[in-house]
Amino acid sequence: MSDSKKPESTKAYLGELANQVPSNSRRDFLKKGVKFSTGLAAAAATGDVLSSNNLPPNIPSWTKSLGTGVVSTPYGVPSKYEAGTIRRTVEWLTADKISSISMSPIQELKGIITPNGLVFERYHAGAITVNPEEHRLMIHGLVDNPLIFTMDDLMRFPSESVINFLECPANGGMEWRGPQMEALQFTHGMISCCEWTGVKLSTLLAEVGLQTEGKWILAEGADGASMSRSIPMDKALDDALIVYAQNGEMLRPEQGYPVRLFNPGWEGNTSVKWLRRLEIGDKPWHHREETSKYTDLMPDGRSRRFSYEQEANSVITSPCPENPWGQKGSYEIEGIAWSGRGKIKHVDVSIDGGVTWRPARLKGLVLSKALTRFSLPFKWDGAPRLLQSRAIDETGYVQPTLTQLRNIRGTNSIYHKNSIHTWQLQSNGKVKNVQLK
Amino acid sequence: MYSLNRLLITVALTATVLLPVTSSAKDSAPLGIGTPATNAEIAGWDIDVRPDGKGLPKGQGSVAIGEGLYEAQCASCHGLFGEGEGRWPPLAGGENSLTEDRPEKTVGSYWPYTSTLWDYINRAMPFPAPQSLKPDEVYAITAYVLYLNDLVEDDFVLTQTNLASIKMPNEENFYIDNRPDTDNKRCMKNCKDPSKIIVVESLRGITPDQEEDASEEAEAESLSESAIAGKATYTTSCLVCHDSGVTGAPVLSDKDTWKKRLEQGIDTVVQHAITGFVGDNGVMPPKGGNLSLTDQQVKDAVQYIIEAE
Repeated sequence: MSDSKKPESTKAYLGELANQVPSNSRRDFLKKGVKFSTGLAAAAATGDVLSSNNLPPNIPSWTKSLGTGVVSTPYGVPSKYEAGTIRRTVEWLTADKISSISMSPIQELKGIITPNGLVFERYHAGAITVNPEEHRLMIHGLVDNPLIFTMDDLMRFPSESVINFLECPANGGMEWRGPQMEALQFTHGMISCCEWTGVKLSTLLAEVGLQTEGKWILAEGADGASMSRSIPMDKALDDALIVYAQNGEMLRPEQGYPVRLFNPGWEGNTSVKWLRRLEIGDKPWHHREETSKYTDLMPDGRSRRFSYEQEANSVITSPCPENPWGQKGSYEIEGIAWSGRGKIKHVDVSIDGGVTWRPARLKGLVLSKALTRFSLPFKWDGAPRLLQSRAIDETGYVQPTLTQLRNIRGTNSIYHKNSIHTWQLQSNGKVKNVQLK
Repeated sequence: MYSLNRLLITVALTATVLLPVTSSAKDSAPLGIGTPATNAEIAGWDIDVRPDGKGLPKGQGSVAIGEGLYEAQCASCHGLFGEGEGRWPPLAGGENSLTEDRPEKTVGSYWPYTSTLWDYINRAMPFPAPQSLKPDEVYAITAYVLYLNDLVEDDFVLTQTNLASIKMPNEENFYIDNRPDTDNKRCMKNCKDPSKIIVVESLRGITPDQEEDASEEAEAESLSESAIAGKATYTTSCLVCHDSGVTGAPVLSDKDTWKKRLEQGIDTVVQHAITGFVGDNGVMPPKGGNLSLTDQQVKDAVQYIIEAE
């Protein structure tokens, strides 16, 4: 067999979220460019013929007829005119769709809550179908009383509800080397924010009787990846939750139905879905998803591990490539900011590529480890602009520039790219994804 | 589904009202909820392995046995030499590449611990049939992947007792996250020289077309009932090979190839899918390697393949 062995692989690096685009895929996507699914385009997609018959002074047809009755859609669905508000994926990122990721359409979303059907997906072996009556959560290891919980058991414990974002640490990871994606959904869409309901993990650990040597917890899913991560005990006793509901209803299958771990503010993969087992130990396990993946390769060839926190980040959602402006006039520069270390304290906006900044207003709820909306009314004179936003969290951390981040991390770390993002507003109102040097 | 439970909760709440309230945050546990886990139950699920070898089951496997297993179970995605097919991960090579412009992060060049390899193969591989390998097979495949990375000799036998002693070259190069690592200031005016700003534009033509996604619904309308039923099976059990063409599998959209196959009759094609088939180009494992599928599910999946555009 040694004869047939190749001395060295010459294959080019194509990591899970590498910045290099395979040339054949690039050809596949050499198309007309980005289309926009706003207003007229959405109406056109539904086949409706637009006419002025429903506009004033005429009485609209829907006013002169009856609508559908109750429970015509027992589980309601969005208006057919919103068909463009969907999760999307970037096919060339991964080898297949089973171990892959999709992005939330954050360019279309309002407020801070992501509707359940639009929460981004990340699977390591596909979304599984679990019968809740046949699902069990086992807690064992360095505990006094190893226990098995049914779903009914878990729902008997006192519950908590929190509003927190969930973000993949690879969010933005396609752009370490340069701007690639002409769409907000693809540059920043690996994030969602929900109300999560479940039991505090500390409550369950009290139930099994945590032993003092227990310093780490292995969380393991029931999916085909048996997805596993080592969680330090401090987090488990702080704010980690065992979650069975999101936004008022039971978890969606995509989010780990019937139960998942949820670590507020931490990289999404630590919030193991379809949670079946928690083992308490005295050391971390160094499993595949915390060594080979989800570690940050630095320029000196060494790597960071256990980089759990999602640092402060922000992006302007209007305007953006999918939400261009029209003529000059009054607009609201709007966006979202978030920090895995606490509340957003300030967001500043620049219209000149970071030369001058002005504070934006935070609007609506400002919650710890949650999406936070910011707004700056802006009278646009039609001149080209370089739009940026910069988040500052309650620890005083200021979102870095891309140059600052690259100076420390180089361009090969894949994960945790939280730098200030730049949109180039052109005089025709269109918006391009650019980076500044 | 939880109606019995709700009834119990109602009863519990009623009882609480009648009793004096003595609880405080401190004595909230234990509540007496849950069932003791037996040793047998724990043993069945406790599959994890640590760098010190804790968790490894008894067993052993040689590089020689691993070679055959690897070629049958792993090479279609990871390549005969661990070089990786298409977008599937390479397992070998990349030595001293971590500081290069295009680092190759493989088992040999990047992974810090041998135990991780054993654990991951055991829990999640082969990708279409996770947890189908016996411990001795996992030892053998692990040994072979180590061999592909020049970490052991070709006569090596990996065992429960020697695994933890095999050190990986990159082990010492990992360190605990030390962020925050940047120190941006909240400057408001004259923060940079505007004349020195250089704008870098994006690569053209790689952003997915955001209006293509609507085509799925139209497709569903033209499918037969059997094909609609088969789509889910196709997606979870067949797509890995038949979308990408690995292992020589005919690709879903390659209508000519399927037409040729159907000349032998759909029953034969279905039978091959159920019992397995060795063709000129590749191997179709029985039921695509997912033996939990019923014959009807396989039949529906074939119907979907035939009808799908």
